[in-house]
Order: sequence, then C-alpha cells, then structure tokens
Amino acid sequence: MSNIKITDELLIEELKLRFEEKKNSLKKLEKLTTELKDVNTKLAESEALKSHFISNITNEIVNPFTSIVILSKNILSVKEGDWNRVMKMADLIHTEAFNLDFQLKNIFAAAEIEAGELFLEVSNVTVDTLIEAVMASFINEADKKKLSFDFRKVGAEKDELFFKTDSEKLRLILSNLVENAIKFSKNNKIVISREVKDGVLSITVKDFGIGISENNQKIIFDRFKRLDTGINSINRGHGLGLSINKALLDFLNGEIDIDSKKDVGTTFIITIPELTPDAESFSADGSDYIFDSDDEIF
Amino acid sequence: MEKPKQFLYPGAIFVSPEPSIITTILGSCVAVCLFDPILQIGGMNHYLLPLWNGQGLASPRYGNIAIEKLISNLEALGSHKANMKAKVFGGAEIIATNINQFMIGERNIHLAKDTLIEIGIPVVSSSTGGKLGRKIIFNTETGEVRQKYVGGKK
Repeated sequence: MSNIKITDELLIEELKLRFEEKKNSLKKLEKLTTELKDVNTKLAESEALKSHFISNITNEIVNPFTSIVILSKNILSVKEGDWNRVMKMADLIHTEAFNLDFQLKNIFAAAEIEAGELFLEVSNVTVDTLIEAVMASFINEADKKKLSFDFRKVGAEKDELFFKTDSEKLRLILSNLVENAIKFSKNNKIVISREVKDGVLSITVKDFGIGISENNQKIIFDRFKRLDTGINSINRGHGLGLSINKALLDFLNGEIDIDSKKDVGTTFIITIPELTPDAESFSADGSDYIFDSDDEIF
Repeated sequence: MEKPKQFLYPGAIFVSPEPSIITTILGSCVAVCLFDPILQIGGMNHYLLPLWNGQGLASPRYGNIAIEKLISNLEALGSHKANMKAKVFGGAEIIATNINQFMIGERNIHLAKDTLIEIGIPVVSSSTGGKLGRKIIFNTETGEVRQKYVGGKK
C-alpha cells in the first residue's frame, strides 16, 4: 500500500517537472516566433523600401543630370560679357554636380560593402587636414543655409595629429555626418571637434537643428530609411549615408553614438581605435605566411 | 611562380580566377573555403553572425548572405555547384557562456553546415568549435587549408 503511495507522489512530481519543461519550451517557442515575425516585417519593409529606393534614385540621378545638361546649354548661348548670368548658372551646375558626386560615392560604397569587397588601406592620416578638407568641400552647401563651421581641436596635440587608419573610409564617414548636419539645420553653426585619447580617435559633429526623437534614433542606421519619406520632402538623399557609416565603422572596429533632442539639435560621436602595425602587416607583407611544421593540414 | 596573397577581413569575400593564397584569422567567426577541384579555383568568406536581421546593410558580415554570395561569385567564374567542395573553419567560443542566445560560434557553425548540406555542396573537412582562435591559410588551387591555433584572438 505504502509503496503505491510513494509511486503516486513520484508520479505527480515527475508530471509537474514535465509540465514545467513544456511550459518553458513553449515560452522559448513563443519568443522565437516573435523574433521571426519581427524579421518578417522587416523583410517586407525592406522590399517595399527597395522599390521606393529605385524611384528615389531615379529622381536623384536623372533630375540633377537634366538640370546640368540644360544649364550648361544655356551658358553656351549667353551673350558675350554677361558674366553674372554665367556665374549664377555655373554655381547651380556645381551644386547639382557636387550632390550627384556625393550620392554616387555613397551608392558605390554601399555596393562594395554588400558585395564583401572591403579592404583596409591603412596610412598615417593627418586628422586635422582631413577634417578641414571635408569642411571645405561642403562650404558652399553650408553658406546656402547660413551655417558656419566651428572646428575645435581638443587635447594636447594642438597642431599636427597623426593617426593610423583608413583615410578614404574616414573621409566618407565624416562627409556623411557633415552632410547630415547641414541638411537638418540652418541659420546657425556646426561644431566639429576631435580628440585622441589612449589610442582612440573620437570626432563629434554637432548641429543645432531639428533633432531626432528617441524612437527614431533606433532606426536611422537602417538602409534606405528616412524619417521624412514624403515625395515632396525638402530633404534629399535616400538614407544610405548613416547605414554606410555604421558598416564602415564596424569594419574599422569603431562605433557611432547619437545624442539628440527634438528641436534642440543632434550630436553624432564616432570613435575609432588606432590600427596597430600588427593589423597592417597582415595585409601586406609575406612573412606572415611561413609554414610551420606544427600546422594542421585540411 | 608566387601565388598572389590575400588577407581576408571580417565581412569580406575573396574569389579569384587565379590560383591564390587566402589567409584569415577566426575567433567565433566562421570562414567557408569553397573550391572547384576541376577548374582549380576557389574563394573564401568570413562572417561574424549567422543571420541578417534586416538591420543596416545586407553585407556578408552575416552567414546567410556570405555563403550565398561566395557560391554565386564562384559560379560567375564558370564553376558548377555540383563540382564545388567546401571546408568550414572557426566558430570557437572564446567568451565562455552557457546562454544559448550568445553561443555565436556554434550558431555560426550550424548555419554553414546546414546551408551547405541544403544546397548540396559537400563539406569535405572542417575544424570548428573549441575555445581557441584559428589562423588559416587556403590554397585555392589545391583546396589545401593549413591551420594553426592562436591564443584567444577576436
């Protein structure tokens, strides 16, 4: 009699355990299902955005080209001596061509990243010169929106600052941040500062523009995402810039942070660790390939 | 003649019609060495995470994209899937953890093996898992891979 009783208790215990296990695996399954749903929604969005992207690109490549063609034709028919008109039209051509060039650089960068054709080209970069060059290339765009640049060099190394990194990638990252800052602010200034601490370069680009709400801060690094997607949006671009920045910084082992308040302004902070000579020697010299006897062969 | 040498960075893919030597260093990342013994060509990828979650650019940092791209790049050079052979390396657990969500190495390995089986490309050899990083040198002409363990890198 007593034997059976114990068995009953054990049985109940075992059943409880099994129920518990079942509950747990159900929970796990639920979690996975939610994740799957999320990914599904994202894929659907991505498809929709892709078609949006193509129409966007058409607008942004075909339209500037059309203006450039018409404007240059007009210049050819200007009467001799009417320099003012020529200057005005040349200025418009420059603006269109500059934007086009910048967009194309981003598109090619995105294509390279997505094709996995990324290579490091490490050199000793003079950071200040690079930042100044980026500012100079955007000076016309900034002038048009009555924006001025304020470049602050933080830290002991006031003059020449050398930093080992990939200069072309850093240039594109900075250009995207500056372009973004110009796009979303006006009648104010853009503060750019740089600092090197413990072998880490940090650059901040701060604007006093419209800002980004907390919810939107989470999605701005997604490709093709623009917060204002209306066809009549005054802001051009197709949301590639920040997703490229994220990918390039991942490649350089760097990070990007955002600090923004709606209607107050936005600060982007990028940090990049200095590439060690070790990382350089991987790519270039052949001494790395000496075969040892303890190599395993597959 | 010396073969061209290539160091493969995480998130990159290298495929060449020329016989090449491809080197990379793996921690929890996984690299698939894919080669065609008939054409004597091959290529390698190096991915960090198993699946693209729809965020950011669809780059070969993610296994599902990296494997697909590697195969199609080799196909573009005239190779057929039926002739391709694969070797899989990496996927170490360098940061010890028991939480399933974080076992990136193991999830990376599973993704490579499952995807390749599904496509029908045989995995002829592999060295995966464990706690140590690996340095591998892949000769695309012969398909030979030399491996050395390295102390907990990446």
